[in-house]
Amino acid sequence: MTLDPAPDPLRLARSGEARAGSRATSSRRRSLTLAVGEVAVTALLGGLGVLAVLYSGVAHPPPWQAALFVVGGWAYVAAGTVAWVRRPSCRIGLLMTAGGFAWLAVALANSSVPALATVGMVVGTLPVAIVIHLLLAFPSGRLGGPAAHAAALAGYFACLVLQAPVYLFTPPSPVLIQDSPSVADAGLLAQRIVGAMAVIATSVIVGRSLRAATPAQRRLLAPLSVYGIVAVLAFPAGPAVADLLFNGGGLTLFIVQMTVMTGVPIAFAVAALRGGFARTGEIEELGAWLGADDASRPQLTDLLAAALGDRSVELLFRVPGEQGWVNGAGVFAVPPAASAGRSVTEVELAGETIGAIVYDATLLPRSQEVRDFVRVVALALDRERLTVELRASRARLVEAGDAERRRIARDLHDGIQSRLVLLSVQAGVAAGVGAGVGEPTADAVTELRLGIATAIDELRALVHGVMPAELTERGLAAAVEALADRMPIEVTLDLGGLGVRLPPTVESTGYFVISEALVNAVKHARASELAVTLSLHDGERLRIEVRDDGIGGAGSGHGTRSMSDRVEALGGKLRIDSATGAGTRVYVELPCGS
Amino acid sequence: MRVVIGEDQLLMREGLALVLARAGCETVAVAGDGEELVRKADAHQPDVVIADIRMPPTHTDEGLRAALELRARRPGLPVLVLSQYVQRRYAVELLESGEQGVGYLLKQRIGDIDRFVGDLRRVVAGGSVLDREVVAAMLHRPRRGDPLARLTDRQREVLELMAEGRSNAAIAEQLVISEKSVARHAAHIYDELAIERSPDDHRRVLAVVRYLSA
Repeated sequence: MTLDPAPDPLRLARSGEARAGSRATSSRRRSLTLAVGEVAVTALLGGLGVLAVLYSGVAHPPPWQAALFVVGGWAYVAAGTVAWVRRPSCRIGLLMTAGGFAWLAVALANSSVPALATVGMVVGTLPVAIVIHLLLAFPSGRLGGPAAHAAALAGYFACLVLQAPVYLFTPPSPVLIQDSPSVADAGLLAQRIVGAMAVIATSVIVGRSLRAATPAQRRLLAPLSVYGIVAVLAFPAGPAVADLLFNGGGLTLFIVQMTVMTGVPIAFAVAALRGGFARTGEIEELGAWLGADDASRPQLTDLLAAALGDRSVELLFRVPGEQGWVNGAGVFAVPPAASAGRSVTEVELAGETIGAIVYDATLLPRSQEVRDFVRVVALALDRERLTVELRASRARLVEAGDAERRRIARDLHDGIQSRLVLLSVQAGVAAGVGAGVGEPTADAVTELRLGIATAIDELRALVHGVMPAELTERGLAAAVEALADRMPIEVTLDLGGLGVRLPPTVESTGYFVISEALVNAVKHARASELAVTLSLHDGERLRIEVRDDGIGGAGSGHGTRSMSDRVEALGGKLRIDSATGAGTRVYVELPCGS
Repeated sequence: MRVVIGEDQLLMREGLALVLARAGCETVAVAGDGEELVRKADAHQPDVVIADIRMPPTHTDEGLRAALELRARRPGLPVLVLSQYVQRRYAVELLESGEQGVGYLLKQRIGDIDRFVGDLRRVVAGGSVLDREVVAAMLHRPRRGDPLARLTDRQREVLELMAEGRSNAAIAEQLVISEKSVARHAAHIYDELAIERSPDDHRRVLAVVRYLSA
């Protein structure tokens, strides 16, 4: 099957921007942007609040160290909101934004206010669990399968539940139950073991999905996954951080770790945007696309790719009268088996399957989401389908033209050329070449002349077959008259006083259809009577009717197809009534447009 | 014999001029399109005009229209129209412009020089000449309850030659029968097909062609 080349991301992004600039954003989209904006402002203010708390309280360790957590939180929220706005249906943005707030909360561990410090200690290692979650959920934003769910859950369990012994049994802590290093150490050990298992499980799951990914996906996912796992491993467990913060040791290491962790959301956001986020493709955006004029309308495939975040999206179309599917280029295509990591969702309009969307099953695990888009794009897809049909008929016309040229070339070669070779031999004989005799005989020369006359006749017949002279010289009515003269069966003509000349394409198409219909009637229909009626309506529409009294039952053969292709190419209509035993009637209406 | 030629193709012009020169004719002017042909024929008052049907600028039937215009101005002006193809429509239009002194032949007939020159002289003498191909096309048209089927083979041959514009004498010579039997066949054809009788050999062509073309 032919795959459309993946669209150039740069071009996509640019065209996305141009689209956004040229079109009013839909109201739903505006409200989403507004809501996400509010979240971002909350994060900003929350962060400032945390800073205020830190700087108003005790100055050990220096507040700027804790303030780095605020900066990290902002980085998460900023990256998260960008991804969220551009890709509302994907939860990666939401997850990163939530992670940002967790970071802000972590910074509170330094506060002199006991309640706030408690909050900070409780969520002390939550950012690690969120990174694990991000790794497992990328790129769809959803956890796929029980293994991923278990790994994510283990991460949260380690970071939230197994964190408890650390702040409950290690001073200083506002919620200290007892200073018990042995209990705290046991808790820490359990946290490290479970955490390590979660990280290992995540690495295995991510590794497996990388193996299953296409090379293009792998290029995107591999560096991100490696970076994420390294960041998780680099982030020391909660007590170590607390230790670092409260004792002020290993400052350089701390800064490196903070930088690595802060880089995580940025890396995810960049990857998410490159991975098909190019610009959001919400349902509303698709709706707006329907209203856009043709010139500014991007390819439906591009748009779906952007909307679904899957650049490998392919559209297949049902074409009436064809059994299989055709792709956007009008070439026959076979939908892939679902097992190849590709899913197929059929598109229906008015109860009829008009097309199918083929997409990456790993990126879009839930077909419901695709179906939601499909409902919106069904009409557009139908239009696209008609375009594809048009392309297919154009291709057939080109093929028919080529076939005709091949026929002409063959006729010239086999007929005229061979005859000329024979004539040159005859001329040689007549001239006595090789025989050593003198004067050519009158008989030989006459024979030569007759041979040349035959060659001219053949050439004339050939040229006539290409474009009858009477058609170009005198128009359709005269040409049909001459055509009828050559038919072996009498043709009743009603030329409707069609004395006017019509546009050349109308004349040649009309002639072609009539000739095809007559030849079919003589060849296949066993007709004994033929009739051709031509009439011009309002000087704008040429109506043609070709009737025979044959056996009927004319199917949609090659000849019929080429007739309708040619008629439709001029914006005309063709109808064939051919009930078995009731003769055949071919009706054609052609706009004359002059 | 003074001739004006209307022909846009150089090779055809040369060929025609060669044939005409051998037949002792003088080509007094050559025109490359219909308008020029009318002008030059007016200016030179030739004995005969030979015109290619298809000429610039539209390459449709300029030559035929120029010939018809010339015959409208100067009734009886002998005109020989040449074409790559023959159509009964053109034949009828030409004959209806006055059936004396018209000819309609395939271009390739100039290759048979003697016959071509003979046809040309008949046109100049006021006869009508139709290409055997256009006559054959008319004779072989399918028609309901074909009345031609009632004719004998010999009568069909005679009818064909009558339509080509041959005189009884010429038909007799070609079929190697007596002129009397030609006249007898002709009378039978007239009766059988209900063609109006024409006293003059030259005038019967239109009647026959009209009948065949109806």
